[in-house]
Amino acid sequence: MEFAIISTLNGVTYGLLLFMVSAGLTLIFGMMGVLNFAHASFYMLGAYVAYAVSSVLGFWGGLAVAPVVVGIVGMLIERFLLPRVHAHGHAHELLLTFGLALIIQELIKLFFGDFPVSYQMPGALRFSAFTIFGSDYPFYRLFIGGVAVVMFALLWLLLTRTRTGIVVRAAERLPAMAEALGHNIPVVFMAVFGTGAALAGLAGAVAGAFYPTNPNMGLELGVIVFVVVVVGGLGSLKGSLVASLLIGLFSSFAVGLDWSLASLFGLVGLGDWARAIGGLMTLKLSSISATIPFALMLLVLLVRPAGLMGERN
Amino acid sequence: MGTVRTLSLLAALLALLIAVPPFLDLSWQNALVNVLIASLFALAFNLLAGQAGLLSFGHAAYFGVGAFAALHLMIAVEDGLAFPTPLLPLAGAAAGFLAGLVAGYFATMRSGVYFALVTLAIAELLHSLAPHLAGTFGGEAGISSMRMPWGGIVFGSMLEVYYLTLGWVVLCGLGLWAYTRTPFGRLTLALRDNEQRVRFLGYDAHRSKVVVFAISAMASGVAGSLLAISNETANYSLFATDVSAQVVLQTFVGGSTVFFGPVIGAAIFTLFSFLVSDLTRSWLFYQGLIFVLVMLYAPTGIGGILYGLVRNRRQIDWSRLAWPALQSVVGGLLVAGGVVFLTESAAVLFGQDYAARRQGAGALPAYDLFGVSWNPVGVLTWLVPAILLLGGVALLVTGRRQIDGVKGRRDAPTAEPAPLGGAS
Repeated sequence: MEFAIISTLNGVTYGLLLFMVSAGLTLIFGMMGVLNFAHASFYMLGAYVAYAVSSVLGFWGGLAVAPVVVGIVGMLIERFLLPRVHAHGHAHELLLTFGLALIIQELIKLFFGDFPVSYQMPGALRFSAFTIFGSDYPFYRLFIGGVAVVMFALLWLLLTRTRTGIVVRAAERLPAMAEALGHNIPVVFMAVFGTGAALAGLAGAVAGAFYPTNPNMGLELGVIVFVVVVVGGLGSLKGSLVASLLIGLFSSFAVGLDWSLASLFGLVGLGDWARAIGGLMTLKLSSISATIPFALMLLVLLVRPAGLMGERN
Repeated sequence: MGTVRTLSLLAALLALLIAVPPFLDLSWQNALVNVLIASLFALAFNLLAGQAGLLSFGHAAYFGVGAFAALHLMIAVEDGLAFPTPLLPLAGAAAGFLAGLVAGYFATMRSGVYFALVTLAIAELLHSLAPHLAGTFGGEAGISSMRMPWGGIVFGSMLEVYYLTLGWVVLCGLGLWAYTRTPFGRLTLALRDNEQRVRFLGYDAHRSKVVVFAISAMASGVAGSLLAISNETANYSLFATDVSAQVVLQTFVGGSTVFFGPVIGAAIFTLFSFLVSDLTRSWLFYQGLIFVLVMLYAPTGIGGILYGLVRNRRQIDWSRLAWPALQSVVGGLLVAGGVVFLTESAAVLFGQDYAARRQGAGALPAYDLFGVSWNPVGVLTWLVPAILLLGGVALLVTGRRQIDGVKGRRDAPTAEPAPLGGAS
């Protein structure tokens, strides 16, 4: 019971963090058809900018500046770099952002070094939210989840309840028509790209203080985020929410379980035979928790190639 | 006629590759082995990316599978299995093909960006699983073996390994080239250009893509097994994203639209990393920068530019092109100099050594770069890269304008959009 509750809490907060990053990715893709490979680099950039700024302005200053800086970087990329390759098709856009991801990662290594930096949450946030089954549950995990929830409540209200939201949604569905009605679609696209990047930057600034901030964090999270959008269906916000939570829960439960295929066979009396084979059979679930999201993705591809909530491509 | 010229050019290159290495020292021979392996890997990757329009970000998986398969066979040979050493890459080919069939079945269910993501995820799956499978991949340490003598050849020296690699790379390279000439090779191009029409013609698009994927994975497996033979060891880091990223960079810088373009990229990047890896820690950054610049300003890559020049050599007014071309080259070198100066300065100024010195000295101490001492707060220090960059950009812009003027509007970069395997 203890394990189940703690794992659920951890899984949901991690899932919400994943959603914060994947939401921007899927929003941008749904609108412009650009899969931004550098999106997870924006997450990393957010963490590093917050780290650098927090040494001057304190933690909250870093938290405020990071999304702005990352959002501006995103807008510059959308405004000046992506249009240059647009004529050559989506593959070139993907390749360009891939190259940018590489450059951002190497720049961060250049300025901050290969090793993790000590970006820490402030002491005021370092307390336990509650004590459950005799162990303290860190408040900061809830804080990460809370920031994500608030962000998305705001984003959702903006998209569905305001005039700007109507224009953005119109630009997503029929850009040419919206432009004909006098809306400045290039600016809308730039703003959406910037917002998506800023969200990733905020996620990085918040999560970087809890998880290690190192030059590999972008790639590590990036692959998982890509899995999330494939499982959820690219372009679907709802899909990426479901997939984020699913993958967050799967990974957090897997860490604590030492099941293996052999123990599964043990249920039907074939345990010794499976253990004798070794290899894949005796791998503990906990040791391959990093593999779970990828396996889940292959399963979804087999059953529902378009993703949980995606449309057929 | 074009084919004859290409073939004679290749024959001359091959003659050089056969004749020169005995006179080179060991490290150069080793570098050339790596160039050959990277070339084959890039060609295999480009079969998928350039010709079938399927952009894979996880080709390290098949490269690594090939390497491990060859190593397992080598271990078996060491234990007394009678298998000729020169044929070891067959194991890599078989393993790569099988892995490609399975992975390709999943990956080609989706096209466009999904395909890229799924291939990336499959490689990550292997990368995260491999350290835990001690039996197959040797855990974190990996597995190693020894090359066994066969038929009077000892395979002890780098030169023997080089010739073995050369043989296999040429064989597979020509095989891949011949493949593009077959009806199925033509179908591969059709898959890229218009998948729907391929389906209307009665072909099973998914099955065809799986086969193309498997063939590409097979050649990648051969490349991986050649690396295993050369290094006699492999560990799970072969599955890492850097390996997949390298082949993407090399292929597109070299030019994915020309068959042998990727070889140019592979050769340049591998040789450069051999030459400069001792001098700078920022080589990966330069690679990324080169790649992005190529994507922005020369989407067809070096090979594509060369091909365009060669094809239009009679129409181009070379005498009028020479001066702006020289100007552009000088401009490019100036910009490169400025960027290198800034990057290396940043590497020094933000490095740990400098931080320690700064704490000792109190103020900002001078730093050494290119044999000269620079003052980090001096005007001259930042004037040098500024002049290099501005001057270089000015030369590049005017040079490019003149080149466009000479060539006319014929192949201005604002040509009609050419969809390259986008999500359609």
